Amino acid sequence: MSVELAEVISRAELVVTCGPGGVGKTTTAAALGIAAALSGRRVVVMTVDPARRLADALGLDIQAHANDPHQVEGVGADGGSLWALMLDAEATFDRLITERAGDPDKADKILTNRVYRSIAGSLAGAQDYMAIERLHQLNAAGQFDLIIIDTPPSRDAIDLLVAPDRLVRFLGHPIYRALTMPQRSFARVANAGTTAFLWIVRRLAGPRLVEETIEFFKSLSGMEEGLRRRAAEVAVLLRAKSTSFLIVSSPRAEAVAESTHLASAVVDGGFRLDGVVINLVHPLPRALDALDDLDGLEPGPLADQVAYHRELSQLARSERDEMEGLIRLASGVAVAELPLLEIDVHDVASLTKLAALLTGG
Amino acid sequence: MTTVPVAAVQRGTSSGLKGHHRYPHCVEPNWVTDARVVIVAGKGGVGSSTVAAALSLVAARDGADVLLISVDGRPGLGPLLGGDPLDRNDKTLQTVGVDGRVRGRTIPPQQAFADYLAMKGISSVLRKAATAASLDSIAAATPGLEHLLVLGKIKELERERVADLIVVDAPPAGHAAAFLRSASALQEVVASGPVRTQADEVAEMLADRARCQGLLVTLAEETPVNEVIELAYDVEERLGLALAPLVVNACWPRRKGLTVSTTAAAKAQGVKLSPADRAALESVAEYGRARQENQQRQLARLAELLPLPRIILPRMPTARFGPDELELLADALASSSAVVR
Repeated sequence: MSVELAEVISRAELVVTCGPGGVGKTTTAAALGIAAALSGRRVVVMTVDPARRLADALGLDIQAHANDPHQVEGVGADGGSLWALMLDAEATFDRLITERAGDPDKADKILTNRVYRSIAGSLAGAQDYMAIERLHQLNAAGQFDLIIIDTPPSRDAIDLLVAPDRLVRFLGHPIYRALTMPQRSFARVANAGTTAFLWIVRRLAGPRLVEETIEFFKSLSGMEEGLRRRAAEVAVLLRAKSTSFLIVSSPRAEAVAESTHLASAVVDGGFRLDGVVINLVHPLPRALDALDDLDGLEPGPLADQVAYHRELSQLARSERDEMEGLIRLASGVAVAELPLLEIDVHDVASLTKLAALLTGG
Repeated sequence: MTTVPVAAVQRGTSSGLKGHHRYPHCVEPNWVTDARVVIVAGKGGVGSSTVAAALSLVAARDGADVLLISVDGRPGLGPLLGGDPLDRNDKTLQTVGVDGRVRGRTIPPQQAFADYLAMKGISSVLRKAATAASLDSIAAATPGLEHLLVLGKIKELERERVADLIVVDAPPAGHAAAFLRSASALQEVVASGPVRTQADEVAEMLADRARCQGLLVTLAEETPVNEVIELAYDVEERLGLALAPLVVNACWPRRKGLTVSTTAAAKAQGVKLSPADRAALESVAEYGRARQENQQRQLARLAELLPLPRIILPRMPTARFGPDELELLADALASSSAVVR
């Protein structure tokens, strides 16, 4: 359907897919990976939270943390191959700390801190940042022709893209500075806001948590510069000519609205929007010539088929109306429509079918 | 309002979902109003926000004063219910009959934080300083705090009985799991102090079936089914949250006629089709047959793997969901025939 999309995956070195939840983003990323592998490229697909069946199809074992690239057997042509990995935010964060801390004792102190443990595991922002970190690692290793990164669902902003900036901003925040300072100079420089912050946290969460928090921030100090540099490098990588952003949507009005916001966020952020994939589109049936006669049928098997034809047509037309705006907005970039297939897509065979539809192959 | 403790019906014993085969399912049509808070949750794209809106409407038709809270702050829920876009102010969206009413609002974490500080008697000067220090930083130091503050606010509203029923449109799963778990996660980290008290009180509300229920929404498709099963066991086992019937959204009506060829169907009804019409219907029937088989397979999996009564809601043949569709969805939700045991 879209020759341009085939061109994107044959040229780009990094493809970032973004879109609202429930539109089949990960499936699309995997199908793009298959298409690229079939065109002779060595490609890795990084997913954040794949559905179980899809993970199985990609040979990823969810239980066994597949944080390292793993080759998907039987996919690829002309020397191309498909690799997949699932982001393990916690493991990536641990690895970052271990690398940056300098000595094992210091690393250990951070890794066992309770505040760190809850941040590493659960904080949404931490996961976004770690996806970026993992991307940097993969890019630096230079093992792949193409990296496809499937971002977590988002509605009106791309959290992943602002994560490095947010972390750097947080590290530059007066509170963070105050917390990482020796106690005595702290008293001198701490402003009202910081004092209030500490007082409130102490009052709300108890003194022990405050101590551990301060301890955690202190042990991070010195790593700040490295994290800052890393964030800056990733920001450059994401804006490189060889990096393409793809929006994945579905034809539902709500998803289209969110995708429209996302598309603006991508463009406004100075990123390169190269395509829009509209997924899960119901096929539009051919109109019936004898519709008037058929509509008046008594109940029976043919009436059932006519009724289904009518509802499917109504839904498919409504979807096309919704898609129109998004397609217009995406003028100048590749647009691909993917039908909602007869079956749910969760194995290599159906992904390959989707890949062919995506690239017009 | 009639109250039949639906949770007791579903669980029957304290053994939860696992012991389901031992007790009878006899869900009453008025399960909607069994608890004072219903938290509606589901994976992105399954329509849990619209189900939350439809549920509010059903309860209002029953004469209840309902407050719909969108945690994610979806302003569009207001117009869907015939009112203004939702914001942080509690406002009436629609009145139904004599007593029924649907109100709506959002709870931004910043506001929940400020309200909480005010409630704890922290002075406005300090409050201002603290807000300037930004909730972001405080939340970073106390993970899960934002969610807890929002749940805490809901708990306060429940305690004050601001409405007969509070319907919470939870953030999409996996955020839903993080949202609901925030209290128990903080209980692990924080040993004492007001945050601990808040976490304890929220956990207590979640586990009290007379006060709070979870209503999970899914589609009859592979991935949403897998995820809702996981979410159901997770919230029930870890939080003790009683579950209302499972809502399976956007199901096509089952049409027997799709299982036969168009030629046979036309013959059975004595109709002569033009070759073009026959081809068009044949390809539609083939597609519909495969989708229908898939839907039946997923419904069967749900029946087998998740011992909750199921409410099957019809798919609306439109990509844009408006007030008319919401009324139809509420009709379907209210009809006890929708409940499949």
